[in-house]
Amino acid sequence: MTAATPSIPAAGWASRLRRPARAGAVLLVGVLVVVALLPLDPTTTDLGQRFAGPSAEHPLGTDHLGRDMLARLAVAARISVGFTLVALALCAAIGTLLGTLGGWVGGALGQSIQRLVDVLVAVPAVLVGLVVIAASEDGAPGPGPLLIAIVAVGWTPFARLTHQLVARERSRDYVMGATAIGAGPLRIATRHVLPNLTRPLLSHLCLRFANTLLTVAGLSFLGLGPQPPTPEWGAMLAESRQFLFVAPQLALLPGLAVVGTALLVTLLGRALERRWATGPTGQF
Amino acid sequence: MTTLLVRRLLALPLVIALAAVFVFALPRISGRDTELAVLRSRTAESDPDPEVLAAIRTQFGLDGTAVEQFVAWAGHALTGDLGISYVSRTPVTGLLLPALGTSLLLAVAALAVAGLAGIPLGVRAARRPGGRLDRFLTAGSVLGVAVPEFVLGTVLVLTFAVYLPLLPATGWGTPAQAVLPVLTLAAFPAALAAQLVRAETVDALGRPHVAVARAKGLADSVVLWRHGGRLALTSVTSLSGLFLGGLLGGAVVVEVLFAVPGLGRLLYDAVLGQDLPVVQAGLLAIVVVAALAGIVAELVALALDPVARSGAR
Repeated sequence: MTAATPSIPAAGWASRLRRPARAGAVLLVGVLVVVALLPLDPTTTDLGQRFAGPSAEHPLGTDHLGRDMLARLAVAARISVGFTLVALALCAAIGTLLGTLGGWVGGALGQSIQRLVDVLVAVPAVLVGLVVIAASEDGAPGPGPLLIAIVAVGWTPFARLTHQLVARERSRDYVMGATAIGAGPLRIATRHVLPNLTRPLLSHLCLRFANTLLTVAGLSFLGLGPQPPTPEWGAMLAESRQFLFVAPQLALLPGLAVVGTALLVTLLGRALERRWATGPTGQF
Repeated sequence: MTTLLVRRLLALPLVIALAAVFVFALPRISGRDTELAVLRSRTAESDPDPEVLAAIRTQFGLDGTAVEQFVAWAGHALTGDLGISYVSRTPVTGLLLPALGTSLLLAVAALAVAGLAGIPLGVRAARRPGGRLDRFLTAGSVLGVAVPEFVLGTVLVLTFAVYLPLLPATGWGTPAQAVLPVLTLAAFPAALAAQLVRAETVDALGRPHVAVARAKGLADSVVLWRHGGRLALTSVTSLSGLFLGGLLGGAVVVEVLFAVPGLGRLLYDAVLGQDLPVVQAGLLAIVVVAALAGIVAELVALALDPVARSGAR
């Protein structure tokens, strides 16, 4: 990343920030991150202040139990985004490993990994979530089954992309050169090929973030994730659905948080992809 | 083509048998006590009477080894008897079939709407890459990736049921009640189909046969639709086969959101209620339908695409 502007790394960032739209976006993200990390209390109920409008005490009003909406949204951001990042990291690690293996070794192993990906990629995560809960010992939903459900199918796009990329890189001259000076396959794969794939994989990571966040929030919406009173965007939306006629903002605010976050990271991913465009991107 | 059909149909029982073994093994992986689960789904008693447990074991065919149980369960399943729901105590088949019908209707309607909206949009956008419609489509597909069904559905309910009381917010049975769930479910496939058709059509329009068609003096729209857009249809059909399988089980969110009594919701309620016979039957039904949808999509794609036909023997 710094390698893109090796001669003037500091000046590069400064000049990029001078563009107003970009500076505004960075500022917005900064403010949102700071708000999300504020030590707010999302669980104190105040039944005298149910469905309160915006005020100095509660900038975004209160929910059906008189809990501060800003605090709940901010703490939910840590849970939703944090959980998404953990799940995404696991998906990326497993997918990249299996994709590299399949693309490098090829043959029967590569074929069978590809077939597995073809089948799993069409399975909805919600379905896997239900299966995992049905098979779990106590049959109760929670963060554990949620993580298993997301990773069980979420690694497949990474594997597919890495497979394509590695299979393409294999025939490059530098790989032959490395083989010629006696480097082993493991060294070539990890020291020569994978660093070359950092950029497409990073932009793919950004593009998969939205999908993963939506799955986390969607499963939580169904009550298959973190249980109340833990605030999570999807769960908050589900909880406030019965008050849709009285207080639609209680459903709209978490919805906006999900969509806004997903949109922001997707746009970042698309920008990275355009800048770094070199080959397959793993999109339809 | 017939050879392929026969081969696929021969593989089908194998797929179903594998799925049946998996589905049967599912609750037994964890080593959970099924009879306790039955009891718990009915009462809150923490210290159950052993006689009651034995009675439940006999009633639900839970005595004997796992293999004996599987043979009995699979034998009954072949005759259409999928057991008795622990919760409602009625035959599972009677719960499953109406739910399956509802889900199929919902999924097919959503796919039809997605195709009718997405395909023409994609073809038109391909006419001028970078044009106004094309940019609109790109923006729409970014939004489609970022807006989940539960947010879209909620916004649609707020708009068309709360602020403009035009449509019912929930339920299933009348055409008016179907509008919002179908639209919610169709949005993402529509964006995907439009994106796919656009890319394929742009590619097709650059090929020599299109230049020939133009040189012959064919009208612009005829070239666009007959020579450009038609090539894109094969990839859409193979994708919609995948989607139909996914929509059946993946429509849980929409079915819960709009209170549609479909397969996804049946399965969801059954998992949360630990109603194992219903869970097993529901999963099996999804696998069977997904496999059938895959075969149909493959055949349609072959019927549409002579090049693939000559390759598949």
